[in-house]
Amino acid sequence: MKVNVMVDVMEANDRIATASKEIFDRNKNLVVNLMSSPGAGKTTLLERTAEAFAGKVRLGVITGDIETSRDAERIEKYNIPVVQLTTVTACHLDANMVASALPHLDLSQIDILLIENVGNLVCPAEFKVGEDCKVMILSVTEGDEKPLKYPLMFRESSLLIINKIDLLPFTNFNMDEAKANALKMNPNLGIMEVSTTTGQGIEDWISWLKQCWQNRVESLRSA
Amino acid sequence: MHELSIAQNILDIVVAAAEKEGAQKITRITLVAGETRAIVPEQLTFCFEVIAGGTIADGAELDLEIVPVRGTCRGCGEGFIVEDFLYICPKCQGRDIEITGGTELRIKDIEVD
Repeated sequence: MKVNVMVDVMEANDRIATASKEIFDRNKNLVVNLMSSPGAGKTTLLERTAEAFAGKVRLGVITGDIETSRDAERIEKYNIPVVQLTTVTACHLDANMVASALPHLDLSQIDILLIENVGNLVCPAEFKVGEDCKVMILSVTEGDEKPLKYPLMFRESSLLIINKIDLLPFTNFNMDEAKANALKMNPNLGIMEVSTTTGQGIEDWISWLKQCWQNRVESLRSA
Repeated sequence: MHELSIAQNILDIVVAAAEKEGAQKITRITLVAGETRAIVPEQLTFCFEVIAGGTIADGAELDLEIVPVRGTCRGCGEGFIVEDFLYICPKCQGRDIEITGGTELRIKDIEVD
């Protein structure tokens, strides 16, 4: 006997993501899903962001790792509320994991919630977690052809941060080629060049994030 | 390895659908997967076999219908199949492309006894 099902496989995930989004709306949080390969600089970017916003914008962080709480320990030094999710085997954060972190944060006291996904260029892009936008980091040591190999993440992201530009002289990374490849996948992608180590370009990221937060607050006010 | 999470979702959905019909066994599952979902069929089949063991879906065949990515050019209105994830209009070379298909990941039907 054949039974028609017609159910979206991600239905359960997306339902939870929508519920989280409603919680974020109520608390007026801008929520950014930050994704990259392992070692591209997500945690360092969060540290630079914490320094730039200290005393001005209230940040919160949810960080996902397969094992250990090292990332959370690095961020806690900045007196920011952090929840560490240890995914054990999962290669990404899904809506359920992020929802489980929310009771551990006072969202009414947070302006921007940064969700540091598990280091991986494939899977995190598949799972909505209730975010307003996705931001990805590509470091120059990974190669300029990555957008062609991992199209989904480039397609899903609003902003691409090309990190470790201080290392450019030591790599064969072609910046023009990388940008052209990324724009082929997503013509609306914003792109910025940054070094989280030297601080070069960080101000661009900070003003982008601030602008997003302002837009979010305004759209919630008019809603 | 998002295939494992997806396999788990599939199992939950098909078992619930089969139980609703009072079925004892699921023999076949048809899954419609858009190309943008980057599913690796062998990996998904393998993950599904592992987690379906001991359930009413044990041994069920997983059929994958892969749907190509379709786009419509916002500039000239041309509809076309996007190949190799290159979102460029073949008619006017425009790059502002609305994706109109190939993003789905849906269980179409199941065969049960």
